[in-house]
Amino acid sequence: MTDVPHSRVDAEGMTADTAFRVRMRRLFGVLQGLASNPATVIGLVIIALMLAMAIFAPWILEPNSPDPYQMPRDWGAVRKPPGTPGHLLGTTNEGGDVLYGVIWGSRTSLQLSLMVVGSTMIVGTIIGSVAGLVGGWVDEVLMRIVDVFLSIPELIFALAIAAVLGPSFGNIIFALAVVLWVKYARIMRAQVLQIKQNDYVDAARVIGDSRVNIYLRDILPNAVTPVTVQATLDMGNVVLIGATLSFIGLSEAGIAEWGVLVSEGQAGIASGRWWASTFPGLMIFLWALSFNLVGDGLRDALDPRTEGR
Amino acid sequence: MTVAVEPQADDLVLSVREVKKHYPIREGALQRVVGHVRAVDGVSFDIRRGETVGLVGESGCGKTTLGRVIAALADPTDGGVHYNMDGMMSRIDRLEGKAARTFRRNCQMVFQDSFASLNPRHLVIDLVGRPLKVYNEAVSADLVERVVELLEQVGLGRQHLYRYPHQFSGGQRQRISIARALALNPEIIVLDEPTSALDVSVQAQILNLLNDLQEERNLAYLFITHDLSVVRHMADRLVVMYLGKVAEAGETQAIFDSPHHPYTRELMSAKPDLEADANVEVRGLEGNVPDPARPPRGCRFHTRCELATPACGWEVDDVVRWLEDAPGMFEHLVGVERKTDFAATLAFDSEEAAGLLSMAVRSEQVPEAMRTAMRRLSLDGDKVEIEFEEVGEIESTVRGDGRVAACVLMPEEVASWKNM
Ligand SMILES: Nc1ncnc2c1ncn2[C@@H]1O[C@H](COP(=O)(O)OP(=O)(O)OP(=O)(O)O)[C@@H](O)[C@H]1O
Ligand code: SF4
Ligand SMILES: [Mg+2]
Repeated sequence: MTDVPHSRVDAEGMTADTAFRVRMRRLFGVLQGLASNPATVIGLVIIALMLAMAIFAPWILEPNSPDPYQMPRDWGAVRKPPGTPGHLLGTTNEGGDVLYGVIWGSRTSLQLSLMVVGSTMIVGTIIGSVAGLVGGWVDEVLMRIVDVFLSIPELIFALAIAAVLGPSFGNIIFALAVVLWVKYARIMRAQVLQIKQNDYVDAARVIGDSRVNIYLRDILPNAVTPVTVQATLDMGNVVLIGATLSFIGLSEAGIAEWGVLVSEGQAGIASGRWWASTFPGLMIFLWALSFNLVGDGLRDALDPRTEGR
Repeated sequence: MTVAVEPQADDLVLSVREVKKHYPIREGALQRVVGHVRAVDGVSFDIRRGETVGLVGESGCGKTTLGRVIAALADPTDGGVHYNMDGMMSRIDRLEGKAARTFRRNCQMVFQDSFASLNPRHLVIDLVGRPLKVYNEAVSADLVERVVELLEQVGLGRQHLYRYPHQFSGGQRQRISIARALALNPEIIVLDEPTSALDVSVQAQILNLLNDLQEERNLAYLFITHDLSVVRHMADRLVVMYLGKVAEAGETQAIFDSPHHPYTRELMSAKPDLEADANVEVRGLEGNVPDPARPPRGCRFHTRCELATPACGWEVDDVVRWLEDAPGMFEHLVGVERKTDFAATLAFDSEEAAGLLSMAVRSEQVPEAMRTAMRRLSLDGDKVEIEFEEVGEIESTVRGDGRVAACVLMPEEVASWKNM
């Protein structure tokens, strides 16, 4: 192949391009990649529906007062099966409307996911970047800490912290954040160490760009893919772990949270009252599943081996 | 010590002085330093304004490492690179603030792998415009025009501004790298094998481009390559490296006319000559490159040199190496008790094996120079004691016309060697 600087294909109306349009095209390419995977599309649709449910909850079902995140109590209608007028999905032992729990519980879950994933991603990315960039004893110390965290199973570690702090939904969020940042630190450190070796980092040093700029323009953007994928998977996983903790009673009783509802309803299953825990359980399953489907799809769509080249 | 003709200070761009770069070798759980890879081990040469210095040598001889030290991407372990800043020679690793920035602007680098050296997420405008942004040379519309200008100088154009590196061919990507290196109007560019990943025809185009740019801008190049045929037409002067040291340096034409170092001569005969009949067998360099963590004593090339003399630094390792290659001998060696690098007692598992070795080492089986260099060879049961003449490092010597070579032989002796 010869090196033709001005091939005819090159000149084909490309002068009208702008950086913005080219970047949009690239983004569009990634979206197309996502859209071509049916499992991902299913995941995205479910997530969109659940997000809509969370956002529009006050318009779907009137918020309980004074605290909309507490289950409403209708003592006149306890243990009603699904299909009861006014209680489409039935009621709990205390007359709580299961549908209310399912819909307002999506807000609780979204809050849990966003807070845990947001905080762990930021903390982990910063710590992993520092370890990878600074190296030496700083890296050594940080990675020893990470190793200690990773040696304890996630669920047991979070359970221990939440148990020590006492039962509350806020403590569950805190416990999960304390446990999960290490994953991001580890991924980020490995990425930084690998990307640092690239000639384009040396090329940036040769032109005299600052360390901060090199980190922000060369290292970080090339490291985000695996972090994004992990974050997407964790959006689903933390709800699963959070529900487990709620289930064993580490959350406040009576709050509109899927894990708590499953926990409170399970006693009735033996007596045939399956609905109080089945519907919220189904929601937990769908939430975790759909984020995992999208996470896997993202991994493929953002794979540098298939993206561009 | 290597500069024959003291160049005019204002003519110099860079002066490389006794540069060493050693990488620690770490082992075990505690990561203890057990030795050093002597990637660059005392190299000196100058680069003058507007000239091309070719840096050649086999893979692993330290070319890239030296290039990185010169571009200030790595600090030397010892010695230093001096940069001519308004007539003052200053060590680049001691520059600070404004002076450091001045050096940075003036010394650029182009890497071998055109894909790896361009951030895959950046558009051409970002890549080529980046140096201009770093030094606040241009913004917005002005920046676009400056980048277009640079692209046109390397044979690309406005239509390539908003493309990603993967949308180009290897040759085009190398043009982008060159445009980026030109952006700050440097005095010197370190070119680390800029064409070795390219097809021959593309290679020629890039070389022509580099030549044109040099003429227009009075650029100095340090052209790193393992391919002598490439530098023959590119370089005004050559520095031939072997295992971290300079084997030979001087004017390119003079070196091609009469190499003063057997290594250079071997390299030249190893290069496939495109003009010659393709069926003619090309003699390659024989033998393995020794470990740069334990370079041979005396002359580093003596393990492979066909002209080696008794004064070239024969040592115990040469006997051990010979044993490794001799069929059925090495298994019988049970221990080497070294007194120095030049004297040791070799222990064998039987008196017979020891006897065989002492016979072999006296015979035609080993190079004559090695036999002559041996001061002592005594057989004592299953042990053989050997001792060689102690020889110091064979240093480069200056020979007229600005030539430098590190070989004990006279140029005539190298020249008259074999048919070439
Ligand atoms: N960062 C490093 N750490 C340890 N050893 C290194 C490092 N970089 C290079 N080396 C070693 O230093 C020696 C010289 O390497 P260098 O890359 O400079 O050789 P080169 O002449 O450029 O070879 P090539 O033609 O293959 O590019 C080699 O033995 C190499 O293994
Ligand atoms: S000094 Fe010259 S002759 Fe001796 S080994 Fe080295 S290159 Fe060969
Ligand atoms: Mg190299």
